[in-house]
Amino acid sequence: MSVASVTRTELYKQLRRPRTYTAYGLIALIPVIMTIALKANPPDPTDGGRLLLLASQSGLFIPASALRFTSEFMLVIVVAIFGGEAIAGEAQWGNLRYLLMRPISRGRLFAAKLLVAGFYAWVAVAVVVLVGLVVGGIAFGLQPIEIPFGFFASLSTSQVLLRLAFASVFVAWTLMSIVTFSFMVGCMTDSTGGAIFAGIGLWMTWLILDAINSLGSIRYAFPTHYSGDWVFIFTSDDFSPDLWRGALLTLGYVVVFTGFAAWWFHRKDILS
Amino acid sequence: MTDTVVEIAGLSKRFGSGVLAVDDLSFSVAPGQVCGLLGPNGAGKTTALRILLGLVKPTSGQASLFGTPVRPGAPELGRVGALIESAAFVPHLSGMKNLELWWRAGGAQLADADFDGALEIADLGDAVRRKVKTYSQGMRQRLGLARVLLGRPDVLVLDEPTNGLDPGEMREVRLLVHRLADAGATVLFSSHILAEVEQICSHAVVMDQGHLVAAGSVADLIGAEGSVYVEVDDVAAARTLLEVHDGVLSVVADAPGLTVHVDGVARSQLVAALVHAGIGVETVTARRRLEDAFLGLVEADESARATGAAS
Repeated sequence: MSVASVTRTELYKQLRRPRTYTAYGLIALIPVIMTIALKANPPDPTDGGRLLLLASQSGLFIPASALRFTSEFMLVIVVAIFGGEAIAGEAQWGNLRYLLMRPISRGRLFAAKLLVAGFYAWVAVAVVVLVGLVVGGIAFGLQPIEIPFGFFASLSTSQVLLRLAFASVFVAWTLMSIVTFSFMVGCMTDSTGGAIFAGIGLWMTWLILDAINSLGSIRYAFPTHYSGDWVFIFTSDDFSPDLWRGALLTLGYVVVFTGFAAWWFHRKDILS
Repeated sequence: MTDTVVEIAGLSKRFGSGVLAVDDLSFSVAPGQVCGLLGPNGAGKTTALRILLGLVKPTSGQASLFGTPVRPGAPELGRVGALIESAAFVPHLSGMKNLELWWRAGGAQLADADFDGALEIADLGDAVRRKVKTYSQGMRQRLGLARVLLGRPDVLVLDEPTNGLDPGEMREVRLLVHRLADAGATVLFSSHILAEVEQICSHAVVMDQGHLVAAGSVADLIGAEGSVYVEVDDVAAARTLLEVHDGVLSVVADAPGLTVHVDGVARSQLVAALVHAGIGVETVTARRRLEDAFLGLVEADESARATGAAS
């Protein structure tokens, strides 16, 4: 049996889950609320973040601002849910044993579940960006913008969209460390709550440790150290090497977490 | 074609906690047999069935289906329909969608599933279009039985399939198993309701503390020995008479009658003796059932193990 047939059924199952569209609905609210707030109360040019200032001038920057605000917490929760519930949710329903009674190898089910969890996590990032573009365009238009600071004098619409696409991929990829970690814990515990909170807890721990300057170069081992660096691509022509370091670091975590999860799932006795 | 459909050989399972759930278990089930798996709670029945289905890895030994050792995801599992403990589904999907997705996940074609036949068994009516989270325990169990039958499997592995069903539904399950066996299916049936196993199964495997106690046809397990329950109009006189009757091992008060343990004496002989003595006989029934055989086997096994451990 191919991974495709299992993946199709998993995509459908997750799509029909109330928690999926509830999560998407909640994160879609962030750019909407942000747009309404910026329209009603534009930021003071001498105060506040640069992205917010740009967002109040062109709807092209609403998605980036929304991504900045959601990527540090709300998106982390959402992707931890998708990762943590993939295997553990099935086990908690008692349905995992019935899936594995089919002639489906564990490797294929594992791959399908991880693919689907990752897909829905990436869709979550896309929801923030696309809703931001739509509401930003409606509220402020999608015109090119003068940059009053940074490297550029101005950015064309296509330049902004290109950077936005890069930023979205970078954020989604960074969050894959949490997806795979929650997924791994879900394979080990059969507890959805435990797996989700473990993922959120890991991100929070990284954030806290990264804030302790005394830890020195140890902080470079946390994806959170690089997770916000993408904002500079909107004000600088230079794609910082830190972005690539962050992406590679995430790759390391994804490989380790996925590898351990696969090893565990392969030898696991299905008792739930 | 292999002589056995299910072959368990020297199977042991020790969990990480140190619990020895299955201990050197061996038995086989031939094609067309309806085999009951009996044992007290914690005997290792469910663990043995999970190993057979590739869900649990044995510590040693082997479980085979159709002559092929079982491994997770083995193609042979496509010929097995199983219900382990309770039926479980994706709660936010309808019963029908659950069946379809489960079937499709294995890469099979919907046309091969025979949904109509399975749903007729489940008898859920329009409820099959409702979300499973609205189902009662009995409805879930019936939907679970429908899932077992998808694709008309060659082997059914049923672990306590009548859990949560009312008496009428339990009877339906028994009849269903009979029908499937008549149609040539092989059934491995675990239940703690011994009367149910006695009615359904041609063969039985008795387990206790993870190991095999006895295996064979139900008739062989029940054996020639037995007991007879009698109700008479003069219990004291009947007891005095029966205690000295040839072939009577013991007589036990079992209000309102007596249970007479016999060896080699027919019930008709006991009745004749009672009537001849002027004692009115109101009821005579055989008492030796699978339950007696089961309890006797388990008790004998436990005392033998205790003796072995002490010496």
